[in-house]
Order: sequence, then structure tokens, then C-alpha cells
Amino acid sequence: MTYAHPESLVSAEWLKSNLTNPSIRIIEVDVDPKQYAAGHIPGAIGLDWAKDLQDPVRRDIPNGDQLATLLSNRGVGNEHTIVLYGDSANWFAAYAFWVLKLYGHRDVRLLNGGRAHWLNDSSLPLTPDVVNHPPTTYRPTQPDETLRARVSEVLVSASGAARVASGGAKILQLVDVRSPDEFSGKIIAPPGMNETAQRAGHIPGAVNVPWAQATNADGTFKSVDELRTLYGGKGLTPGAPTVAYCRIGERSSHTWFVLKYLLGFDNVRNYDGSWTEYGNLIGAPIEKNV
Amino acid sequence: MPESTHSQPGTRTTTDLHARVYDGVLDMMPSEENPTPLVRLNALTPPGSTLYAKLEWMNPFGSVKDRAAWAMIRDLESRGELGDAKPGRGIVEPTSGNTGFSLAAIASVRGYPARAVMPSKVPTEKRALIRMAGADVDISSDAMCPLPGSEDGTIGLARTYARAQSNKYVMPNQYENQINARAHEETTGPEIWRQTQGKVSHVFVSLGTCGTVTGISRYLKSKNANVKIIAVQPSPGHDVPGLRNVSELDVSKLYDPSLIDEILQIDFNLAYTNALSLLRREGLRAGPSSGLIFEGARIISARDGVPMGVMIFCDDIFKYVSTMIKHLPELGGSDAEGGS
Repeated sequence: MTYAHPESLVSAEWLKSNLTNPSIRIIEVDVDPKQYAAGHIPGAIGLDWAKDLQDPVRRDIPNGDQLATLLSNRGVGNEHTIVLYGDSANWFAAYAFWVLKLYGHRDVRLLNGGRAHWLNDSSLPLTPDVVNHPPTTYRPTQPDETLRARVSEVLVSASGAARVASGGAKILQLVDVRSPDEFSGKIIAPPGMNETAQRAGHIPGAVNVPWAQATNADGTFKSVDELRTLYGGKGLTPGAPTVAYCRIGERSSHTWFVLKYLLGFDNVRNYDGSWTEYGNLIGAPIEKNV
Repeated sequence: MPESTHSQPGTRTTTDLHARVYDGVLDMMPSEENPTPLVRLNALTPPGSTLYAKLEWMNPFGSVKDRAAWAMIRDLESRGELGDAKPGRGIVEPTSGNTGFSLAAIASVRGYPARAVMPSKVPTEKRALIRMAGADVDISSDAMCPLPGSEDGTIGLARTYARAQSNKYVMPNQYENQINARAHEETTGPEIWRQTQGKVSHVFVSLGTCGTVTGISRYLKSKNANVKIIAVQPSPGHDVPGLRNVSELDVSKLYDPSLIDEILQIDFNLAYTNALSLLRREGLRAGPSSGLIFEGARIISARDGVPMGVMIFCDDIFKYVSTMIKHLPELGGSDAEGGS
């Protein structure tokens, strides 16, 4: 069996042979932008998730004009195939993938295994040199809200969880992709994180499938059979409305990609507000296992 | 390194280890002829046993890591990876402290640039120490929920510099470089054998890169297969700088369990309370990892008796003042300024 959308994933070998392909733009997005500065895939553009892929004032993704300015200045056109990669097995690369799909970019792909996979193969080139591609005029579409979950919908599902417990239908399949200690409420966030919440626990009705369970030790994605067993084993079915969330929306982008593009879930959304929004709400129902 | 053959203009002496006159700081590096001191514990040793501490903070840059750092740099020089064959090239290394300081200081003396990549959890004082020694410091985000075996964070960033900017950087890589272990096989092990006149029965060590335990064990077991190598590991959840619990050792390629007779898990809080006892009762200014190692030696002494035990005391307490106060708040005293 193969992935539902195998064209959304590229291998290091494929990318190596396409490094000078003018129809491709390679973009690196890391948790730690110093990684790009120290060295990157030749020709890759570096984006900083905090500065480039967030609204600078409101807590939100960039609006269409901001994204258009960013991509136009960096030489990315609507016609380009965008190949994304990054550290932490593509966390923020997956987040960028989600933002680009939200704004209607046609051909976006992830480098399987991300930056570490490339780094560990000494036959693959790295450079500190920054390439300036000629500017373009990028035109994003209106944001596709069917890819994005909002807190109001999540709350409706959460308050319906009690009804589910007594035999009613689940409104949403909620997948909490954080670590087991965050899910149980033992900790609010991993140590040292700037973005956190007032309360610990998870959204009622959510199941916990930590994001890393979808990857092999080298950061590449597990096989479709393994992924099907993993998520199916947690009771998640491809046809039901599904929402993935984490702390700030990047780890959940990774799982969103897995569910939508590797397993073919046809109605899966990323809740980018995630626990730092939900866990700060007055009066929101919370489940805690500690 | 008994005598130096360096020649520079001006009046000078050559290195004379007996007189403790050195032709340069690197001539102080330890060897069988110039060992770090072995000091007997007189107040804290359980009756019937003999325990000596090997004072690694007497190395020129203050820790056991001088041995590996110096050996790795000399190896890179001898292979033409550093020095005249590669003008302008320096070193980059992922490090949480002692190795970074040793490498940075040696690099400065040898005229190489150095860059240390440190995790964000490393205290400010340690970052400052490495900057004082002349290195550039990058602070890398710790993985938020790390992927086992991933090359992100400090190791990934250092490796990126070494791969993408190989004209500027070479990475000694203390976690994988066999020279790290060989440094101890060629210096620490022979020193202990000679200092104890071959009577050493037990060696007590901690686990980090595992270069120390692997090198010492290889040498001493080749001299006497009955020498017991006892490793201590802090209990899970610890914050003892530089040490690893066995569950965290996948990062090191130098860990060889067949060279270790026993691994003791010690409550990590004892690292701090024992460090205090060692200073107050024995006058040994040992750091927290030495506190943990002493506890292992105390347990084995009480259980089996230790005819001639040697404890590797990796560094001293001076750079752990804030860590000690965190665990033993009374050390901060009540003389702090009043808050709001």
C-alpha cells in the first residue's frame, strides 16, 4: 500500500537531483532559525516561523497581503513547486505547508525526514550561502477555512463530550498530539517554553497520539500500514470530521499532514490556537488525568 | 610530556616536572610522569576500606575534559585537519560546559577560532566562561519533545557548521571520537596504575560521553582483569551537569557496557549534599558529579569492602555555586535583599 498522496512527499535523492530545477523553490523552516544560518540545502530560502509565518501584532497566521509580500520578495511564484523541510522532523515545515495550502498554493511538498535526514548523509550538499531569487508577484487565494479549526467549533465538541460518554455521536475526532504528560495535565507545557497556558489537561473527548509516533527514528514517516494501525488503533476513522491540536499548532500541523496526505482523511483540520488558546479560556471544560 | 622542545627567543627554562616549572600551559597536561593528584579520604571512608580521590580539577583548565580536548586537538593537528594545512580553520563542538571550556582555551592557546553550541538550559555562568576563553557561543533550543536519536538541537547545529562551513570548522565530536577514550587509556589509566603501584582494586566513575570509563577500564583491565569498574548514574529527572542516566546514553558512541562491572543508580540529590560533605569534612572542593561518585564508592565500601578505590573527581565546585544554592537554598543565606 502506498500513501494517499505520495506526490506530497519527496525523498532526499529526488531533491538532490532537482537542486537546480528552476520550477522548484526549496524552503527551510526551523524551530531554531540558527540552523538555516549555519548551513542549508543549496538554493534553499530560509523562513523564520515566528517572524515570517505569524502576524506581527495579532496572534494569527499572516494575512494574504503579508504572505504575498513575503513570498514575492523571496522569489516564490504561484507556479513554483515548493519543497519544505526543517528541524524537529519537519514541525514548522509542516506548519508552513499548512499555511501555504490554506492560501491555495497548488504544489507543496515535504522533504521526508527533514533537515536531520539530509544532514546525516554526507553525500548531500550543504552551504551557508544565501541565494536571492528574482522577485515575483505572488497572489494567494482567500484562506481555505476548511483546513483550519476555530475555538468555537472545538468548544461545541468539547461540551458535547459528556453526551458522547452516554452513547451519543462524537461531533469531532479530536487528536491531541502533545506528549503524554501534557495530555494528562501533569505539566502545562514542556520545560522552558515561552508560550504556555493557565491550565493543564486536554480538551474533553480528545485522544492522545503524540506526533512522533508517526515517524521513524530518523524522522522519516512510517509506512502507511503502520500509520493506519497507529491511528486506527486509537479509534480514528478517515471519514469523520477530525481536528488535530498541540500547544501552538506546529506539532499538530505535522499530524494534520500525516492524516490528510498520507492516510487520506478527507475532513481533517489543524487547530492552530491549540492548548495555548484553549487552556487560557475562562470556563472551558477540561479533562485531566492526574 | 616530560620536557618541552619549544624554542622561543628570550631567557627561559625548559619544562621540569619535578620543579613544577612548565614551558607553557599545555605542558601542564597530565601524563604518567605528570599525573593529577591522588588524595586519600580520611574522614568519610567507611571502616576497612581505602578510597582515594583523583583531583581532575588540577588539570590546567579545571576538569577531566582537558585530557580528551587536548588529545582530540592534537589528533586533528597530526592528521592535517587543523593547523598549517588548514589556515583559518577552527573547531566547533556541541557541549554543555567543561569540554567547551577546555577546547576553547586550548584553541585560543593554539591560535584557532572556536565555536561552542550549547543547549539553552545551560546556566549563564557556563556560557560566560566559554566566551571568556575566547569562543563564540550559539545557544540552541532544546527539543520541546525530542525525537529519540534525532540530530536536532546542539549536535545538529554543530554538525551543520562542520559540514556546510568545513573551511572554517572541524568538529572534534567528543561523543563519537575514539580519541576521547584513548586519551584516558593513555593517561588516566596508566597514572592510576602507577600512583597505586598496581594495587588499585576499584575505580568509581560517572557517565557522560563515556570516554573516561571506557579508556580507564580498557587500560586497567589489561593490567589486572580483576579491577572493578563501578559507574554511577543519577536517578531519572536529575539535573546534575555533564552526567547522563543510562537511558540518556544513546547519544554516546563510546559507551561499552562490557567494560563496566556494575552501574549504581544514585538519588541525584546526594550529588549536592555529598559535595558539601567532601568540602567540609575532607577539604576537597569537589563538584556535584564527584558527590555522586563518592556515594557509589561509599555504598560498595560498606557492601564489599574496597582495598584500594580510586574515584575520578571530574571538576570542582566553584562553577556550580548557583546550582548548589538551587538545591541547598540555605547556602544562599538570609542576607539577600528584600523583594516586593
